[in-house]
This record gives sequence, C-alpha cells and structure tokens, in this order.
Amino acid sequence: MKVYHTLKDLLVGAESAYGSNDVMRYKVGRKEVASKSYTDLKNDSEKLSAALEKLGVLGAHIALTGKTSYSWLLSFMGIVNSGSVAVPLDVSLPADELCELVRRSRAKAFIVDETRLDVVEQVKEHCPELQYIISMQKEESDEKMLSLNQLLDAEQPGFDTEVKPEMLCTIMFTSGTTGKSKGVMLTHQNLADNATCLDMKIPDGTVILSVLPIHHAYCLSMDILKGISIGSVICVNDSLLHVANNIKLFEPEMILMVPMMIEVFAKKLQDAPALPPFIIRKKVFGGKLHTICSGGAYLNPDYIDFFAKYGIKILQGYGMTECAPVISTNLPWDIRKGTVGKLMPNCEAKTVDGELWVRGSSVMQGYYEMPEETTAALQDGWLRTGDLGYIDEENYVYLTGRCKNLIITKNGENVSPEEIENKLGESRLVQEIMVREKEGVIEAEIFPDLDYVKKHKVKDIQASLQALVDEYNATAQSFKKVYSLIVREEPFERTASGKVKRF
Amino acid sequence: MLDQLREIIVNYVDVDAASITPESRFMEDLGLSSFDFMTMLGELEETFDIEVDEAEASKIVTVQEALDYISQLQA
Repeated sequence: MKVYHTLKDLLVGAESAYGSNDVMRYKVGRKEVASKSYTDLKNDSEKLSAALEKLGVLGAHIALTGKTSYSWLLSFMGIVNSGSVAVPLDVSLPADELCELVRRSRAKAFIVDETRLDVVEQVKEHCPELQYIISMQKEESDEKMLSLNQLLDAEQPGFDTEVKPEMLCTIMFTSGTTGKSKGVMLTHQNLADNATCLDMKIPDGTVILSVLPIHHAYCLSMDILKGISIGSVICVNDSLLHVANNIKLFEPEMILMVPMMIEVFAKKLQDAPALPPFIIRKKVFGGKLHTICSGGAYLNPDYIDFFAKYGIKILQGYGMTECAPVISTNLPWDIRKGTVGKLMPNCEAKTVDGELWVRGSSVMQGYYEMPEETTAALQDGWLRTGDLGYIDEENYVYLTGRCKNLIITKNGENVSPEEIENKLGESRLVQEIMVREKEGVIEAEIFPDLDYVKKHKVKDIQASLQALVDEYNATAQSFKKVYSLIVREEPFERTASGKVKRF
Repeated sequence: MLDQLREIIVNYVDVDAASITPESRFMEDLGLSSFDFMTMLGELEETFDIEVDEAEASKIVTVQEALDYISQLQA
C-alpha cells in the first residue's frame, strides 16, 4: 500500500496500478448495474479541471451537492486536482440553508444534482460571488445552467497542474456548538494522509458498499479516498431505503456504517429463523461481507461479539471532520473492545484537564472565516476534540464522555442544541427551552411564557407546544427532529452568570 | 393492509402488533429510528410492489399516513 500526500498523486497512482478495473459500480434503473473504471475517473476528472480553467474559476471555491454518484466523484476529483477548493454540501439540507452555505463559502461555481434544482433560483439571487451553476444531469446548457456532460464532452483528458500537499483542498461544513455551522478547512495532505497512512491489509479489488452521505468526511476519506488508493470497487447505495437489497445485489465485502445501521442489522440477524450462522449471514448480508467499519457515534461493544458469531468483524473507530476525520481505529487483527482503536500513525494525542487533544498531519487548518472559533479549537497545533478520554501506553484510545455541547445522534450526525433552541424559541409561547439527547434521540424541555398563555387564552399548553414541535419537525432534517417534549412548570435553574444550567 | 403493515413494523421494534393503531406515530410512539423507518419503506416497496419517493415518504408521520401513501401509489 502506498502513502500519498495529495489527492492528485493518489488518483494518478491508483490509475496507473488499477487502470481498467472498476472504481465504481452503480444501479441504473431498479436492478441493472453499470460501472466506471479507474482510467475513466482520471480522464473525466481531468476534463472537468480543463473545463473549470476555461470558465476562469481555477483556484476558486466550487460548491458541490448531490447523492453519491459517479458525477459527484469525478467533479470532486476534477475540482481538487485542478488546485481549486471543493465545498461538498449536504444534499438533504433545506433550500435556504444550502443557499446560505454556498454564499458563506464564497463559491464561484456550484455543481448540483437535479434533485436539488429547487435551490437554483435562490442561489442566483442570494450568492453574489456565484458565477456558474452546473447541472450533473442536464443534457444541454441553457441560460440558467451549464450541463456537466456538455462541459466534459468539449474537453480532452490530460489537464495537469502542480498540486502541493499544503494546498487547501476542501471546506467541509460541520455543526458548530453555537448553532452556526463551521467550514472545516482541510489540505490535500490532511485528507491524503488520513486515507493512506494506515495499512489495513485490504486486498485490491475489495468490494465496498458506500451507504453514508458522501459530503461527510468519514465517507469521503474512508470509502472513497482510501477505497481508490487501494484499488477497491466502490458500489453506490442509491437510497437508504435500499441498503438491504443493495447488499444482496452488490455482495460487498466491506461496509462503513454508523451505529444506527448496525443496530437495525442486528435486529434482522436476531429475528432470522434458527438456521446455521453462515446461512443467516448469506440471507442478510449476501454471503461475502466480512468487515463493518463503524464510526460517527458510540457503538455498544456487545455488537462486536454478536456479529462475530456470523463471521463479521466490526472495527470501531473515532474521528471528527476537523481531523480529516479518522483519529483512531481498531484493526481486523487486533480488536480491543471498549476502545475506539489505536491512534492513526500520523496522529499523537494527550489529555488536558480530561479532554483529548490530538496533533498530526490530518489536523485542519482552521474554520473558514471564523478566527475566534479557530483559536478556541487549535492551540499550538493541537486540536481540542471536545471529547473526554485518554490513551493507554499502547496508543489505544478510550472515550469517557463529552465536554462540548453537541448532540451526536446514533447515525453519527452532529446536532447543535442551540440551533433547535433558537428555532423553537422564536415562538412567543416559549419562554425558556433546553434541547438535549435522550437515548439516542432529541428531546426538548420547554418552560412556556405564562403571560402569553394568559393573554392569548391558550387552553391546552401541552397541545399548543406539541403543535409547535410538529410544525418544526415537518421541515427539519430527520436527524434534527424532536421526538420527545417535556413541558416545565418552573423556570430552569440558572448559573451565576444567568445562563440556563445544562447539566 | 393495516395488518400487513403491523407485521412489518414489529420486525423493527419490540411492540405488540395489536397495540399499533392508525394514529400511532412511527418515531415518537413506536420508537423507530430514522434508519429503521427508511429500511421499512424499502420493505414496503417489495411487499406492495410500489416505488417510494424518498422526499415524499419523509413527510409520513403516522401509520395512517403510510397506508394512505401506499394506496395512492397503488391506485
């Protein structure tokens, strides 16, 4: 396995080693499978780089949103290997939030999947620095949007420019503890080192099913970049509805999952009729699956033994976008239950007042245009993780809790309680509110504005507040929905400085 | 159709099929996680031979709404 320090070297190296092998397989229609090779990917990404040069946006920030697809992948590679900066955005965001991130990232071009054409008018109006909108599916360019396919057809492969390890590669947005998301700035080296510095002894040609959202650092680094660097076949899961069916269709050997998914598959294994484990494994996992990498949130270690009965290893790891993202992982030949694995070879760690601090070549450059948040997170090259934990003498990492106010849901999404508190708090009915996690889901506790209740003769406070929560849930992303509501009769206890006491 | 749906739901959560009513909310009352819900929708596609639209389906809150959605797709 080779270690690379830029994504350009990574793609060029992988193409020269695996050329005509499949890099990606994806569904066309309901059951048919199509594929693209390593050479296709290198050529198409170079054509996109050439197109960006023609448009005059080389070196600029280019926003990108869509589900995992070959178009997304070639766009990402074409952007970053032209010396430009990719800004991958969550395709499931509400239109106004997506528009806001395009604006805040100062993107000059926006490559968009057709499922999100609803944001096109909005970004044109609200993003003054945006010059081009490029559709991933459109056949022909028009006055509104350029066609990605047409741009590629007009170019030849062979674009070449120097890409250095220290060059900014991507800005990835992550939930901030103040409710405003932060753009994590990662260089080529941050990402390339994270994806390639650890040899997990995975043979080339290994079939991976990619089920996590591609704008997440964990999926991008481990499924995509690591996958490419070691010659894997990356199969695209078209929808979360179809994970179970796609496992049978693509017969993957490895899958990266978040704990919420592992729990669902554990139930399926448990509920299977009393048959030998290898038959159950074939029924549920298509027979070839041997490894699940788990990250993004806490995993109950009991699942490790449970899945082992079916011949499946679960490798729990730990990371955060700010570290591109993997900090530690368990390895197939050395699984330590109760730990989140061994530190990556490019990472060192220490504990300061109970908090885990990490340093190394994957630690971010800072938050985009947020100097105060950057100063708070980075100290003399050390990244404050916000997690409580420690490392043992063999470099295994143990996590014991969290000191930052961020909810980590079981699907690995980070949610800022303040963001939800601010939204629900806009209602006159709410005087004080606290949002927190309870058993993996989000709970809101509200103290109503009793003056308002009296004045407006609100009869059923509980029902009115539930209606408010329902209204919020109707448009919120699924992982930000409030599942449980508690109505308080007394105001919250406050700290000396007048803030609501959280814990 | 309600009975068929009940049988599918109990594969995801430990609840008594009889306790599932049309008014039950999948996540709040029955305790399905968002991934449980998505996987269940995939199973509904197979069972009822329908093609579920992810964005439309994400608006479904109650069992009745799911039944209505299935009927609408079958019509």
